[in-house]
Amino acid sequence: MCGILAVLGCSDDSQAKRVRVLELSRRLKHRGPDWSGLYQHGDCYLAHQRLAIIDPASGDQPLYNENQAIVVTVNGEIYNHEELRKSLPNHKFRTGSDCDVIAHLYEEHGENFVDMLDGMFSFVLLDTRDDSFIVARDAIGITSLYIGWGLDGSVWISSELKGLNDDCEHFESFPPGHMYSSKEGGFRRWYNPPWFSEAIPSAPYDPLVLRRAFESAVIKRLMTDVPFGVLLSGGLDSSLVASITARHLAGTKAAKQWGAQLHSFCVGLEGSPDLKAAKEVADYLGTVHHEFHFTVQDGIDAIEDVIYHIETYDVTTIRASTPMFLMSRKIKSLGVKMVISGEGSDEIFGGYLYFHKAPNKEEFHRETCRKIKALHQYDCLRANKSTSAWGLEARVPFLDKEFIKVAMDIDPEWKMIKPERGRIEKWVLRRAFDDEEQPYLPKHILYRQKEQFSDGVGYSWIDGLKAHASQHVTDKMMLNASHIFPHNTPTTKEAYYYRMIFERFFPQNSARLTVPGGASVACSTAKAVEWDSAWSNNLDPSGRAALGVHLSAYDQKLTTVSAANVPTKIIDNMPRIMEVTAP
Amino acid sequence: MCGILAVLGCIDNSQAKRSRIIELSRRLRHRGPDWSGLHCHQDCYLAHQRLAIVDPTSGDQPLYNEDKTVVVTVNGEIYNHKQLREKLTSHQFRTGSDCEVIAHLNKTSKLHFSVNHFLSFPDVVHVHLYYHFLINMSAGELRRWYNPPWYSEHIPSTPYDPLVLREAFEKAVIKRLMTDVPFGVLLSGGLDSSLVASVASRYMLQSEAACQWGSQLHTFCIGLKGSPDLKAAREVANYLGTRHHEFHFTVQEGLDALEEVIYHTETYDVTTIRASTPMFLMSRKIKSLGVKMVLSGEGSDEIFGGYLYFHKAPNKEEFHQETCRKIKALHLYDCLRANKSTSAWGVEARVPFLDKEFINIAMSIDPEWKMVRPDLGRIEKWVLRNAFDDDQKPYLPKHILYRQKEQFSDGVGYSWIDGLKDHANEHVTDAMLMNASFVYPENTPTTKEGYYYRAIFEKFFPKNAARSTVPGGPSIACSTAKAVEWDAAWSKNPDPSGRAALGVHECAYEEAVDEKNANLINGTTTAI
Repeated sequence: MCGILAVLGCSDDSQAKRVRVLELSRRLKHRGPDWSGLYQHGDCYLAHQRLAIIDPASGDQPLYNENQAIVVTVNGEIYNHEELRKSLPNHKFRTGSDCDVIAHLYEEHGENFVDMLDGMFSFVLLDTRDDSFIVARDAIGITSLYIGWGLDGSVWISSELKGLNDDCEHFESFPPGHMYSSKEGGFRRWYNPPWFSEAIPSAPYDPLVLRRAFESAVIKRLMTDVPFGVLLSGGLDSSLVASITARHLAGTKAAKQWGAQLHSFCVGLEGSPDLKAAKEVADYLGTVHHEFHFTVQDGIDAIEDVIYHIETYDVTTIRASTPMFLMSRKIKSLGVKMVISGEGSDEIFGGYLYFHKAPNKEEFHRETCRKIKALHQYDCLRANKSTSAWGLEARVPFLDKEFIKVAMDIDPEWKMIKPERGRIEKWVLRRAFDDEEQPYLPKHILYRQKEQFSDGVGYSWIDGLKAHASQHVTDKMMLNASHIFPHNTPTTKEAYYYRMIFERFFPQNSARLTVPGGASVACSTAKAVEWDSAWSNNLDPSGRAALGVHLSAYDQKLTTVSAANVPTKIIDNMPRIMEVTAP
Repeated sequence: MCGILAVLGCIDNSQAKRSRIIELSRRLRHRGPDWSGLHCHQDCYLAHQRLAIVDPTSGDQPLYNEDKTVVVTVNGEIYNHKQLREKLTSHQFRTGSDCEVIAHLNKTSKLHFSVNHFLSFPDVVHVHLYYHFLINMSAGELRRWYNPPWYSEHIPSTPYDPLVLREAFEKAVIKRLMTDVPFGVLLSGGLDSSLVASVASRYMLQSEAACQWGSQLHTFCIGLKGSPDLKAAREVANYLGTRHHEFHFTVQEGLDALEEVIYHTETYDVTTIRASTPMFLMSRKIKSLGVKMVLSGEGSDEIFGGYLYFHKAPNKEEFHQETCRKIKALHLYDCLRANKSTSAWGVEARVPFLDKEFINIAMSIDPEWKMVRPDLGRIEKWVLRNAFDDDQKPYLPKHILYRQKEQFSDGVGYSWIDGLKDHANEHVTDAMLMNASFVYPENTPTTKEGYYYRAIFEKFFPKNAARSTVPGGPSIACSTAKAVEWDAAWSKNPDPSGRAALGVHECAYEEAVDEKNANLINGTTTAI
């Protein structure tokens, strides 16, 4: 990841403004510790903080076309840049950077080239011939991006909120899959896959097609000139990523430079479920495995920093970001600059527990669509910003454009959870990698249900957070919460605690509006709350009761939970379930 | 380098205080990007931001003795930690960190927190920033633990022995090769950095570091395109066969970095800022290559009287006392620059010339030998050059060993200083400078460049105590105030550049006509 900041048409080309832009750009320095660049053309500024992954020696930004009339600042990776280069035989490239193609594609195709890019990206392109510009963000919003407007008529673009919140009158999260064109003066969605309309697809499930699509998604992400590794929690998603990477690493350019043995990383409180599960997978795959332990106190001490970096007050996101944030620092200190991670699978395949209650395949499918569309506010935001805080890049193969297309094309009947036919959640994915000849993973791992992130790091993490929050938020404070925070009112002391910190860093009204809220049960969208009348009626914000699981089950790890009509071991997923905000 | 922050006896052990200390500690995170730690004992807090160089996996801080009654937070490298460990046979160590010995060496445990930027034993203080001290909570006083013979400024009389000096320096370099992470050498192509590179590459093969990171030494140089340093360094690198990395920067990139440089180096001293900027930019590039530690050549000019104005030292006594004063002031100038320019990006700079033992030896030489004597063919730093003049196994080719090179700020390219001045002239008006003595009564800036830096410094560090940490006073070409008395013309001359004062014609600067003269001007600073 890199950090980009653009100020366009601010009617001010003074040294003071330049210094201000430099100062704001430095707020994004953690994203790109390797070098920085500032391009100024009249009253337009493009600033860049670079994390060098491809072509570290010459790829400093901004990037230009041949005659330097077109200037681009990019945060991202373009996985198909070599093919795109070949498609532009008349163009001369100055650098080996994967992002160099963007200026040339624009020159060749005008504004309608964004869908040709395969990767994660956000960029600002300035055409100095007519002082027009375009801004675009990748399909799902893997890279973070914000847009703002100044009173002076300027448009601001920044990788993180902190780059523009103090200088804009209004700002918001830049919609993923969209571009903004100064000529058209507005947004336009460039990403138009079949699933976007939420129509119900009917392609039959073909395990091998799905497998190949995912494998190629992983393989293209091995493009790197620097040391890398995989985040391995030991769950299905990260284990698959690690397995495929380990299998295909040997033939890659990266292996020639950095060795063919894969590095894997896991974080947890001492003795946590994730550490154990990841170790097992790492042993099976033969990776160089690194375990990082943190204490609840370490985590609590980091909370302010986490909120400053992640720019959210969403409780689940903060809980899950903290271990990832701590781990990223350790990973970076080992000299590793890029990791591959398993985000997105739960959204695409309906891996969350509440999907057990989906009334029919139509509802199931539409909920997965909604979840994918919201990813940029939750897991993408977490994965991108927790790692970028330490100059580490996270790549997410499950959010490969082609893979999503294949996976979202499957008749959702196949994704439905059917305990009677032995189909647990994400069965289509598990089944696709169930290869007897050359097993990707041992069966018991392939079919196991594991803790979700926040709990996997250790049960006492969430308890510790709650205990800490209740020490610092009084009942009286909670009583007035709706007056102090009328928008997205925190309903728990923990949420209140996070919110106070958020408001201190980002006091603007626009800032709080970038964070999602609303009714949710166990990570569901508001719409899915309707699946069970008991859910929407239930005032218990923890949602435990709502899902019909007994409280004590959490600690006791009961093996069956009949009331909820869900498979065994569901309790392991509890923490996520508790993470519910009441309407 | 790491970052340490301690708050002792603040009568507040609330969560709010803890949060505040964590927040303040984060301001030092660039120094130690790898991990952080906070130890809280009642109302005493020890915070640490770690750059992991030795024992990266287990050496997180704070460090403790066996029963955890002694807690230490340290920024530094203890080069003799292995010998010290051997002496402490009855102690059990928890980590492989070189700094852990400190907790065990403190025998008077109980409630004594050793808070030190760098505690005593192996190295000399000046490498580290200002506040090197040891607080003994029960005593409450600042005490100098460093008492070498030269400190009194008595004139030493040991005859010069080239081999003794050479061995002392070699040892100083070798002990600094202790590392568990990739490292390199800053190579400007001048005498000092070239010697460091030469000795390091010669002894690297035998070091532990070479087993882990390969035996080819990495060297780094920065400059504007086509600058003298780049050329000189390349020549040395080719001779030594190092893996050489050249970084180019533009004047605009340097100007854009100024605010950050001042924020990081925490000074408004003109010479320091000029020289820090390229070093700051280079450190970012070095770190991006995965290198965490570099050896650097600071300190030689102070110990051996390498600055041009030493040519005018009236006698050996004055010469010697000036070197003593220069060494004592190092922490305000070159140490500050080397430490903070690199630490800004989590790179550690190690300076073998400031090895405690090496200083002892170099400063006990009869200063008669150090005097610049053109009649005897002795140019500045002759004792050092001669010590490494080995015809059998040459450390450096003769012409490099005896050449006089640009000093840092100029070597990166002549247009750097000019660019800085032009930029300052554009942004500081005559009227602003006229009122300077009212706006900045303490250490009043006398040039627009000085004013420009000062304004930035004041923005970041507005407190009176902050501006008092930066030295000022009259100076000619990096001299102390005292040495200005060496030439009556100097103290009378109002030209702040000192160029005229040293009797060199302006145009010599650009044209670098005469090597010696050029060098002379390069030594100039601002402020008188």
